[in-house]
Amino acid sequence: MSTEPEKPPEPPVRWRSGRLFTWLSLSLMSFVGLMVLIVYEARWVYPEIQAYFSQTGSLTGQQLATRARGYVQRAQEELLVATSPLEVGNARHSLELAYGLFDVDIYRQKYACTAPSLALMDDIADLLDTEQIDPFDAAHALFVPVQCLTSIEMNQLDRRGMAINDFSSSTRRHNQVMTYSSVLIFALGLLFWVMHQRQLKRTERANAEKFAWMARAMRDPLTGIGNRSALYQDVARYSGRSMGLILVDIDFFKQYNDALGHPEGDRLLRRLATLLEDALGEEARLYRLGGDEFAALLPCPSDQALTQFCEALQVGLEAAQCPHPAHPDNKDLTLSIGGARFVADATSFAGAYAAADKALYQVKTAGRDGWQITASA
Amino acid sequence: MKAVLSRLSLRCSGALSKAARGLVVLLLVGVPLSASAQALSLINGDSTQKVALGDLRDRADTSFTVFDPFQGRDVEMRGVSFRDFLIEHFGEVPPTLHFTAWDDYEVSLGGWDDPTWYLVTIEEGEPLTLRSRGPIRLVEREYTGRDVENLRDFNDWIWMIRSIEAQW
Repeated sequence: MSTEPEKPPEPPVRWRSGRLFTWLSLSLMSFVGLMVLIVYEARWVYPEIQAYFSQTGSLTGQQLATRARGYVQRAQEELLVATSPLEVGNARHSLELAYGLFDVDIYRQKYACTAPSLALMDDIADLLDTEQIDPFDAAHALFVPVQCLTSIEMNQLDRRGMAINDFSSSTRRHNQVMTYSSVLIFALGLLFWVMHQRQLKRTERANAEKFAWMARAMRDPLTGIGNRSALYQDVARYSGRSMGLILVDIDFFKQYNDALGHPEGDRLLRRLATLLEDALGEEARLYRLGGDEFAALLPCPSDQALTQFCEALQVGLEAAQCPHPAHPDNKDLTLSIGGARFVADATSFAGAYAAADKALYQVKTAGRDGWQITASA
Repeated sequence: MKAVLSRLSLRCSGALSKAARGLVVLLLVGVPLSASAQALSLINGDSTQKVALGDLRDRADTSFTVFDPFQGRDVEMRGVSFRDFLIEHFGEVPPTLHFTAWDDYEVSLGGWDDPTWYLVTIEEGEPLTLRSRGPIRLVEREYTGRDVENLRDFNDWIWMIRSIEAQW
């Protein structure tokens, strides 16, 4: 008998876990991407809105042209009622303020009326300073810059309106892109998640199959009890505990098969498995090591307890009265039983196995139909 | 426009003698400017201090060239460090300042403990006037990352400053 368990081959699962990780990563990346997209869009829209509407209603929200026109018109009003140099001086002051607000590079560049209007205001100021113009006429002449400033205001408002329309269209486009992108990314995320779940289920199924396969690999298909590999596995499981190992061999099994046929021999093997289970109790774990060789592993605190198990097995067999038509001694079925006790671990089992086998051999050489244990040292 | 002015000028020319004309010029220009642009009022609680514009121009010890987005070109400006000016007159930089301008613009702003701000009184060698958005203007000596096409980004450049009130 071999002393090393036969390890069952493992199913190839590594590539599966690799792909599992990929689907999960793609899914998570999709949802993270969706969040990034939303945050980016929110950060894009807010500054644009702020650029257009943040100063609405405040003085700085007014156009410089509007403020300049206000002062030109104030100058006109002051000139219309001016009767003294002081009052003309006040109008000049308003005109200066208007000039300062009007004389902006962007107006000079974009509106052709700006430079002539500023030149006219310059001339009017000079004429007022030298009193070469009647204040009423000066007020009338100032309608030219008022007209220019009004056209600038209207144009600027149109430009602002267009900019807001562009912004609105752009926002609409962005919203559409955002919506479609979000739906697409979300769908991709869901798809990847579904793929991940499918892969997970496949892996679980593969694992379940693997475990079932491993369980089958530990079973003797004929009797349903454990095989040699299961014995080694169980020894490892009971590591550190005081255990008894009982080896059982059917006497003259070849003759039984020759007389009754192998199907009957198989039935006898199954019946013996049941008999061992009944005789040794629930705590005993049973194994078929091959052919007609059986083993039992069970918690056993002393040699006395091991002796009792062997006797119980013998008694149970006699009570079962299994016929053996080809027994050379004309008896019913008999067994040769050898036992040994050991503290379970990987190294002591080999010795215990050898001791139990030796005891069994001694029973065989003594004429079979009996039991013997190798006392613990 | 020119035709209108020419006609108006002819109607008025010869009405006054040169001497009388000179007197009128003084009255017309001098009266409003003396009332407006000759001093900066510094208000700190109940106390108001007037800083003569001439003094400010004399003290303009720093000259620099900066792109003025309102004029669309590089401009050589001269003035004093605004932070130093505030410390000199208020003892320290007030958390908030309330500005009043000659064009009735009023605003309260903070964050003046910043060496980039200058109180400018001279531009291209000429004193600032109301028509050049003076006589006192707050300007950043350096600015980066701002779009010079977007004038709204330069609303803090306060023009035509008439008074500065410390708000503690």
